[in-house]
Amino acid sequence: MARVNNWQLGREMSYWYPEARPQKQFAAVFDTNKCIACQTCTLACKTTWTSGKGQEYMLWNNVETKPYGSYPLAYDLKLLEMLNGQQWNGNKYEGQTIFESAPAGERVLGWRPEQQDYAYPNVGEDDCAGQVDHGQFLSLPHMNWFFYLARICNHCTYPACLASCPRGSIYKRPEDGIVLVDQGRCRGYQECVRGCPYKKVFFNPMTGTSEKCIACFPKIEQGIQPQCFVNCIGKIRLAGWISKPGQVRADNPIDYLVHIRKVALPLFPQFGLEPNVYYIPPIHAPVSFNKQLFGPGAGEAVKTYRNAMNDPDLAGLLCLFGSTEMVVSRFSRQGDSVTGFDERGSAVVRVPLREPVHVRPAVDTKNQLVRINCP
Amino acid sequence: MKYAVFILAIISAACSRPQKTVNEVVAVSAAKLPMDPADRAWDNAPAHIARMIPQDLVEPRLMTPSTQQVTIRSITNGAEIAFRLEWEDPDSNDLPGPAKMVDACAVQIPEKIEKDLPEPQMGQEGKRVQVTYWRADWQAAVNGRGDTIRDIYPNASIDHYPFESKPLEPGSGEQKEMAMLYAPARALGNIRGGPRTVPVEDLVATGPGTLTPGPPLGANGRGVHGKTGWSVVISRRLPEGLAPNQRSHAAFAIWQGAKQEAGARKMRTGWIPLVRRGS
Repeated sequence: MARVNNWQLGREMSYWYPEARPQKQFAAVFDTNKCIACQTCTLACKTTWTSGKGQEYMLWNNVETKPYGSYPLAYDLKLLEMLNGQQWNGNKYEGQTIFESAPAGERVLGWRPEQQDYAYPNVGEDDCAGQVDHGQFLSLPHMNWFFYLARICNHCTYPACLASCPRGSIYKRPEDGIVLVDQGRCRGYQECVRGCPYKKVFFNPMTGTSEKCIACFPKIEQGIQPQCFVNCIGKIRLAGWISKPGQVRADNPIDYLVHIRKVALPLFPQFGLEPNVYYIPPIHAPVSFNKQLFGPGAGEAVKTYRNAMNDPDLAGLLCLFGSTEMVVSRFSRQGDSVTGFDERGSAVVRVPLREPVHVRPAVDTKNQLVRINCP
Repeated sequence: MKYAVFILAIISAACSRPQKTVNEVVAVSAAKLPMDPADRAWDNAPAHIARMIPQDLVEPRLMTPSTQQVTIRSITNGAEIAFRLEWEDPDSNDLPGPAKMVDACAVQIPEKIEKDLPEPQMGQEGKRVQVTYWRADWQAAVNGRGDTIRDIYPNASIDHYPFESKPLEPGSGEQKEMAMLYAPARALGNIRGGPRTVPVEDLVATGPGTLTPGPPLGANGRGVHGKTGWSVVISRRLPEGLAPNQRSHAAFAIWQGAKQEAGARKMRTGWIPLVRRGS
């Protein structure tokens, strides 16, 4: 194995191949606080890419309710248990990644979901078991909170699916970092399904090959955000490019949120893949849970996010989420408005930090009537 | 009664042909290749019993040995060569799916007869090997299993496929073209699943991880699962230069789907001498 730099772990780690970062890396930020689990993203993806035979069970995009939801079933818990409790020391991960803890004869520490594990994509939906008049019927570790976690392929810098494939059928595009399964070369061994800790590679029993999220690369190549982004009702998503470590740009929306303000964090960084979908953690979930999912910076990230209303640049950037179909490569705030620019530097969207509020009096004195809210 | 059983046992032993075992794979001549694994013509070919070892040279390795041995017989008609592989496997696994692997076997032969053999594990650069690969799900397709999700999941409920909806006419060019959009592997000619005319494929390799479709060698096959395991016939064109009484080599691999074996996770043999008998 090679030694590579994983900035999310604050250290070097072992990986199957030498470090080879792409010229540009596709990345995204999801604001968990805005997601309402309407599953429009899920259907946007489903109708676009996975309506074929053998793809019926596949959800390249899914939204699960944390803490109990998961698709496939317990994908996260199983691996966390296999890792058997690992430790961070400040911002440095001192535990073992799934590459470093690979058993003898394996490329990564992994497991393969069975068919029934895919049977309940919405398991745990809205489960929070809060206070009721006659006392709680159940006593569970997480009682009075939940949040929605939207997930796609993380197009990782160090993909475990790619490392797991014994025949090099999975590749990371040098031009944009998107991770793809070569459908002409895959022989359906399902090693990638076993290796991906996020379980975002799916075996198609009709074609006999494994398939996965392609980050809507035909759209990305035209500077347009993927289907699950542009169809998001809650405007929780922003697609863009994350710079290489040491080349961070303050006017790059992803860099600003991830590297500068550190308000958006990777999902399960401890697995060691350097995933490139980043999450603004939920403000109502316990810090300990957030830290398990998003790493040691989760507490500070919530504080920064809570203060966004007093933080015009951050608030402005958050206003760009869902504001345009185009990929915003650069942003700039001028006073009370923020502008997003595409890769060529053309302004593609301008939005105010605060929408004007119009209060319509309940009593219309001019017309001598009282307005009501129902037709 | 005791004597009757004893006499019956003696008669039975006398009637069944003793299994001739040899320490190499001997391809005997016949006018016609028997493609049915149960064809009595196979009794004329001596059996070679090959001990199998786990693939433990490259990751992912097979860490728990499964198939202990494979019994190999071979027949040639002078233009093609057929092998019958028999191994114990009480479970027939011919349905693919998530975490569901299928039973399979393969015959590997050096592309050229040379003094220095290629690496037994998938060959090496400059020393290509030819692999003829059979799979149980492909056999099921050849035997008549359909190409719908209900053929794999009988209770599946299908709401809608966009490529099977009006105004597209079933079987029309437009309809087939649209269906391919939702089956990218098939569109690229990578026929891992679905309709097949033969349950085998011709492959070549120059080392682990390099397996790729090779020049057509007319491969064919037929596998039947019995009470104790599989009996599979694999045929292909006679290896180049394998004249009567000449030697080449062959290696064999077995995958048990029930044990999650696929790809590199397999039981294999080393090179075994392959001799063509007859004129």
